Amino acid sequence: MIQVTELHKHYSVHRRPPGLWAAFRSVVRRPTEIVKAVDGISFSIEAGERVGFLGPNGAGKTTTLKVLSGLLFPTSGSALVAGHVPFRRETAFLRQITLVMGQKQQLLWDLPPSETFELNRALYEIPKTQFHETLAELTELLDLERVSKVPTRQLSLGERMKCELCAALLHRPKVLFLDEPTIGLDVSMQSALRGFVRAYNERFGATVLLTSHYMDDVLALCPRVIVIDKGRLRYDGKLADLTHTLRPEKRVAVRLSRAIEAADLDRFGKLTERGPDRVVFQVPQDALRDRVARVIAELPVADMTIEDPPLEEIMRDLFAAPASP
Amino acid sequence: MNAIFRALRALPTLLKVGVAEAVAYRAEFVIWLLTTTMPLVMLALWSEVAREGGPVGGFTGADFTAYFLASFIVRQLTGCWVAWDMNREIREGTISMRLLRPIHPLAAYAADNAAVLPMRLVLSLPIALAALYFAGRDHVTHDPAMLGLFCVTVAGAWLLSFSIMSIIGSLAFYIDSTLAVADLWFGLFFILSGYFVPIRLFPGWLQAAADALPFRAMLGLPVEELIGMQTRASALRGMAIEWAWVLTCWTGAVVLFNRGARKYSAYGA
Amino acid sequence: MARDVRYARLLGAQLRIAGLTSLQYRADFYTDAVMSVFWLAVNLAPLLVVYGHEKTLAGWSFPEALVVIGWFTVLKGILDGAVNPCLTAIVEHIRKGTLDFILLKPADAQFLISTAKLSPWRAVDVLGGLGVLVLAFVRLHRWPAPAALLSALLLLGAAVLLLYSLWILAVSVAFWVVKLDNLAFLFGSIFDAARWPIGVFRGIWRFLFTFVIPLAVLTTYPAMALLGTLALRTGLLAGLCALAFFAFARVVWGQAIGHYTSASS
Repeated sequence: MIQVTELHKHYSVHRRPPGLWAAFRSVVRRPTEIVKAVDGISFSIEAGERVGFLGPNGAGKTTTLKVLSGLLFPTSGSALVAGHVPFRRETAFLRQITLVMGQKQQLLWDLPPSETFELNRALYEIPKTQFHETLAELTELLDLERVSKVPTRQLSLGERMKCELCAALLHRPKVLFLDEPTIGLDVSMQSALRGFVRAYNERFGATVLLTSHYMDDVLALCPRVIVIDKGRLRYDGKLADLTHTLRPEKRVAVRLSRAIEAADLDRFGKLTERGPDRVVFQVPQDALRDRVARVIAELPVADMTIEDPPLEEIMRDLFAAPASP
Repeated sequence: MNAIFRALRALPTLLKVGVAEAVAYRAEFVIWLLTTTMPLVMLALWSEVAREGGPVGGFTGADFTAYFLASFIVRQLTGCWVAWDMNREIREGTISMRLLRPIHPLAAYAADNAAVLPMRLVLSLPIALAALYFAGRDHVTHDPAMLGLFCVTVAGAWLLSFSIMSIIGSLAFYIDSTLAVADLWFGLFFILSGYFVPIRLFPGWLQAAADALPFRAMLGLPVEELIGMQTRASALRGMAIEWAWVLTCWTGAVVLFNRGARKYSAYGA
Repeated sequence: MARDVRYARLLGAQLRIAGLTSLQYRADFYTDAVMSVFWLAVNLAPLLVVYGHEKTLAGWSFPEALVVIGWFTVLKGILDGAVNPCLTAIVEHIRKGTLDFILLKPADAQFLISTAKLSPWRAVDVLGGLGVLVLAFVRLHRWPAPAALLSALLLLGAAVLLLYSLWILAVSVAFWVVKLDNLAFLFGSIFDAARWPIGVFRGIWRFLFTFVIPLAVLTTYPAMALLGTLALRTGLLAGLCALAFFAFARVVWGQAIGHYTSASS
């Protein structure tokens, strides 16, 4: 469905040292610098997949998304989405994709979202019956009954985001590009949105490419992740495998039935947390069974959970490590 | 009082940043330069009128040339767009950021607007001055005292322009159609300041009205001082009226803005 | 054929939205109407002063100059009512980075942005301009011949096309130079010179305003057409000029879109 080969996108920006004299000099002479937003990435996504695009700020995620949706043309390399070259912006291509950007909206500001829906119907030439069907479904799924007739400027951010999603999906696109869609939303709204995207993907088989800072988004939605840093690909594969490759350890959290004094708890594993009735160990994968058995045998265990290290930590590690050339 | 000292202390930095900003947007600056085309069009028009029908009310073609070139220079030196900036920032809520800073927003705006003057001077003055020179040496005043008065008048004109624009901008705290008011103002300015035609060519009653209003001080007065059409006495009289207006309008601007800001903070962005 | 039908339908949808949006701001009608009358007076004042001093200017009598001002007001009404709002909106979109959404829609971007907004209350300006035209002909003690009327309407079409193209050119520049709040103002200032018959300008100015920024096509030629003094050849050239500008503007627009880099996320 999506194929990216050796994609490069470079920008030239003006660099100006501070100071008044430098400012005046820049009137006549402007030194420019090349910024490599995307520096040679390749990946391929099948139809119906849900892929998370991760990376620190300025990594090139949004740029890649914009190239894939045809808003930017690549400096070099190629991109193919649904068999089309994005930047040609052919009508057939545009009808199959949608881009949702957090905190930026396509909804008309002064009018109710229902008017934007009507306009989109005309723009995408959606047949009347299909339009009403889709709108009914989306209204139900997103709970838009009360909000779609209120002028957009009077809606809260969460309500706007829901209407935004509806407007973006009226034409039943096959490819969804979501650029930080949950940014600024409260927790319940975030989880509602995630649920909705997942339902949409499962129902219609749409391909979803999501960029986000919130690890919860990725955990909930994306079995596969692509990690980008400084315009380069750092990881492409299953989320579970990422955890295992980078941090092949498990967290063993133990709740104790009574406080213990024992000082040398290190024999069970690396101690990461120690409270009056709770201890957390980090245990290498291969030694897990053995260590857990010993913990149960030697400590007054009331409750125990075994989990992966939090994704945030894994990401931090990934970005801290220098990129391989 | 403290506020004023603080503002004055910050002024050099504000100006420096303002100039750097003005310089950064080269094209925008050129466009601004180009928006002051009105005097040049008027120049063409009135020279043609004088050419065909002889001197108009004592103004020969050369007089018109001198007048409108001087008009161009003065307009470059005194034009202020703060009303539009304020209107936009109040509507979009970004004025909150200015209100949070320890510098009074009006001082910041003033620095911004003053900061563009060096660029404008550098780019427009040589051209206009050269043209003025060629149009007729006799058309620039040779009296050094008059030139001094001219500088003071221009400074007053800038302050007046800024104050009135601030008043109009502050209206955005109270009403919706601030831009219509700004438009109205410009319409009146267009006629009553001598921008479109020298005030001397008006019928008597209109001249008297124009003398009392602030518009003339913003353009007509300094222009006529520069090209030697004012005597020292009449110039001083005009300046007295001008600075009276400066005081009134500046106070008005500060009061209106402060009240508006308080109202704005009470009800939120 | 199918494409034309599609765009016709789309135009309908866009105009409906534009209409609804402007209805949201009903109060603007009163301010716009009052400002219209005010500006009409301001526009006529220079004319009155000039013609107070002499009978003809560059061969144009007072009623004839009124015809030029009449066209100027009509065109200004169209400019402020239909062209300006859209294109100021575009600069806003570029600034906020929401132009992306327009580019993502499966329809021509130039078409979409040109039909997005309206200030229908500016129709008052157009009516005022027509009023001035009527007044001018009353003073001339005659009415325009039907042929003159027709050619004037055609030239009005050419003038609107030209005005629109000049605006598209200006906006295309906005893609390269992002901070362009003064665009509308610059345009207004230059357009302002069109209130005078082109004969008033001499030398370099006349060349500039006839060939580089063809203000002559905007007001003087339609006025001459209405007065019956326009040579056929000049009229045809004016039409061609408008078409040429339109084509040129479209090319430049295409280039501008190609260079577009949206605002940071």
